[in-house]
Amino acid sequence: MLRRLTASAVAICAALPVMAEDFRWASTTDPQTMDPHAVNSAPVLGFLNNVYEGLVRRGRDMAVEPALATGWEAIGNGEGWRFTLRQGVKFHDGADFTAEDVLFSYERASSEEADTRSWFAPVSGVTVVDDFTVDIMTSAPNPIFPDSIANWMIMDSGWAEANDATRPDKEQGNYATLNANGTGAFKVTAREPGLRTELQPHEGWWDTVDHNITRAEFTPIQNPATAVAALLSGDIDMINPVPIQDAERLSGQPGVQVIQGIEARVIMLGFAQEADTLKYGESDGAANPFQDPAVRRAVAQAVNVPAILQTTMRGNAEAASQLVSPAMRGYSEPNAATIAYDPDAARAALAEAGYPEGFGFGLKCPNDRYLNDEAVCQAVTSMLSQVGLRPQLETMPVRGYWPRLREDDFDMYLLGWSPGTFDAEHPVRFLASTPNEEKKLGSWNFGGYSNARVDELLPMIQSEIDETKRQAMLDEVAAILQGETAYVPLYVQPLLWGARDNISLTQRPDNFFILRWVTVN
Amino acid sequence: MTDLPQEPTPLVADERARSRLAMAWDSDVAYSFRRSPVALISTIVVLILVLSAILAPVIAPYDPFNPASLNLMNGFSKPMEPNAFTGDVFWLGTDDQGRDVFSTILYGMRVSLFVGFAAVGFAMTLGVTLGLIAGYVGGWVETIIMRVADVQLTFPAILVAMLIFGIAKGVTPVEYRDQMAIWVLILAIGLSDWVQFARVVRGATLVEKNKEYVQAARMIGRSSGAIMMRHILPNVLSPVLVIATISLALAIIAEATLSFLGVGAPPTQPSLGTLIRIGQGFLFSGEWWILFFPAVTLLALALSVNLLGDWLRDALNPRLR
Repeated sequence: MLRRLTASAVAICAALPVMAEDFRWASTTDPQTMDPHAVNSAPVLGFLNNVYEGLVRRGRDMAVEPALATGWEAIGNGEGWRFTLRQGVKFHDGADFTAEDVLFSYERASSEEADTRSWFAPVSGVTVVDDFTVDIMTSAPNPIFPDSIANWMIMDSGWAEANDATRPDKEQGNYATLNANGTGAFKVTAREPGLRTELQPHEGWWDTVDHNITRAEFTPIQNPATAVAALLSGDIDMINPVPIQDAERLSGQPGVQVIQGIEARVIMLGFAQEADTLKYGESDGAANPFQDPAVRRAVAQAVNVPAILQTTMRGNAEAASQLVSPAMRGYSEPNAATIAYDPDAARAALAEAGYPEGFGFGLKCPNDRYLNDEAVCQAVTSMLSQVGLRPQLETMPVRGYWPRLREDDFDMYLLGWSPGTFDAEHPVRFLASTPNEEKKLGSWNFGGYSNARVDELLPMIQSEIDETKRQAMLDEVAAILQGETAYVPLYVQPLLWGARDNISLTQRPDNFFILRWVTVN
Repeated sequence: MTDLPQEPTPLVADERARSRLAMAWDSDVAYSFRRSPVALISTIVVLILVLSAILAPVIAPYDPFNPASLNLMNGFSKPMEPNAFTGDVFWLGTDDQGRDVFSTILYGMRVSLFVGFAAVGFAMTLGVTLGLIAGYVGGWVETIIMRVADVQLTFPAILVAMLIFGIAKGVTPVEYRDQMAIWVLILAIGLSDWVQFARVVRGATLVEKNKEYVQAARMIGRSSGAIMMRHILPNVLSPVLVIATISLALAIIAEATLSFLGVGAPPTQPSLGTLIRIGQGFLFSGEWWILFFPAVTLLALALSVNLLGDWLRDALNPRLR
């Protein structure tokens, strides 16, 4: 009797989540914050795209489509855009969405405290025309502006004021770090940083509902093997990423599917270039050899990218020649050749640059951000050692990694960059422009790379309407960055998601997981 | 002074040495050792493992800590099979970085054994000292020491070690963290392990301090410190020896656990636990050897030390003789 009771209790427990269309997914990185303006990184923006919305959003094919704005048109000789806002949109707490919220979100997202500040470098002002019309003026004609604000998420001004969160605080955190109030398809109902985040559908959402989820739960699982085990046992419905070494075996397992694609993200090595001395040199105040383009080029020659692709990435990635992948708009075809692996040439170049004995320096890497990031850095360490350099590798979780890079605490570092606009102009603005707080440029150019011609070309690229001329300028920038080895692009990262067979979903090339496209069958 | 070890009769130096050796050989403990196959085999295994760890630079075919010697194309070589790209053969295969698993185990065992011995040494010194003081002095000193011990016993040892490790990592400057990691590990395991020693020594001290030889020593005016060190300590050492042996196995496992959890030995100085953590990520994809061989080595080491400890406990226990 007891046994039968237990059995039926188990059956009920097992049946309940299915009836309720519970969906559980896991990823290696927990979004550090629920504040859409505090950290400009894919785990945060990707997660919050389910909770907050922008004026525009990206569809399944990455094309920009109306969201909180129903339409937009160029005004004032192309030096501005008029957005018509959607009416009847409600925030999760029931407040109405109006033009005031757009103005407030602009001020908040472009404030000095915001990490998203450089998105608004071309903007000269925002004016509220009426409750449902907003003009955004740019300092020069900017044909791709609507394309560039899909991740600019709108926050309720009243909610932020009431909770003393009118400015983001990425160091200390404030109310908006742990709570969210957007207009998106899902609202955050529980948030335990690093443990779990629970989402439920927003009943008052303006768009047609395309999913059948009644409750979704996100769990960060740092150990990829644990995540795979959880997927196989059915504890988790979807994991991102699938460890590269497990993709092949997992796709042959009954009950699970592996969804594979090429991500927009290029993994690269960056250098401290502004610093006159090495942070981790072998003697105090050792001069910084990475200021010399010849040394940077030697590093590029010393790294055996094909071996990394073959062994560490198991043939699942493609070598990169520049800061964007070939799938991006503005990719430079004339600069598609990669630097060949040539350790002898690297050794000779180092000797010629004045370092026949090599030198010691510090290499910093995240260990939970990119696919196999720690293994790639270990491989780079041994490859650089083989040409006589003496890198000291330190790897750390990503929540401590960005602060360290911002403090210039590195000589060389690993970075992955996925252009949010899907355009080659994006990394030029963030990674190749001379860092300039005031103009909101080069905000992720940690090493301080600087080239006057690149700085001069960027505004011209941004305002050029003629595709051929624009491409010619992007080609020139790509050639300069290659010629000076500003960065060492390694490879384009693959996208590998795993899901239970009964889940249908859409994999977007920016690796954003969009919950409103998920159906539990 | 009836319980003190017998004073040797005056002899010439080498005769005395020979007789001591002969005495040791004829002792009950040595007799039980010669008669116990488990103890013999365990000793042989421990000796082989310790010796190969000490002689790692001589025995190991590669130096896994020298990044310049690694070839990434050797990665994931199967045991005893030539690598598909380079044709190199590795006895126990290679890991994801092309590191020879056999060499890495030898070097990793050095870290594990060093941490194990040092942590037990530290825990023993601390525990025996505090236990002696608590047992001999008594009063509020005893209350404080033993309540601290009781509180610590309510926490799992690994939790205490993680706590200490976390705090130590927080206060060490970043640039020294890798060098400090091993010492912090020893401190953490040692501090979580002293309680056992303290409790046993205190118990034994309580029994010994009322015996006649101690009273006699007190009467002739010896200081408390001298009585504790010269008279009581030698008589409470045999249980300490047993605990130390068993603690060694536990300390090696604790180190492996901490390193497996990613809070122990840094990846540049892998211990057996670090190797198992690295290998665990490749278990699903069929590269079993990266996990298997370090795990078997850890098992052999911990098991034989443990069996030795068990045997020693039986051999030194007069009731079981």
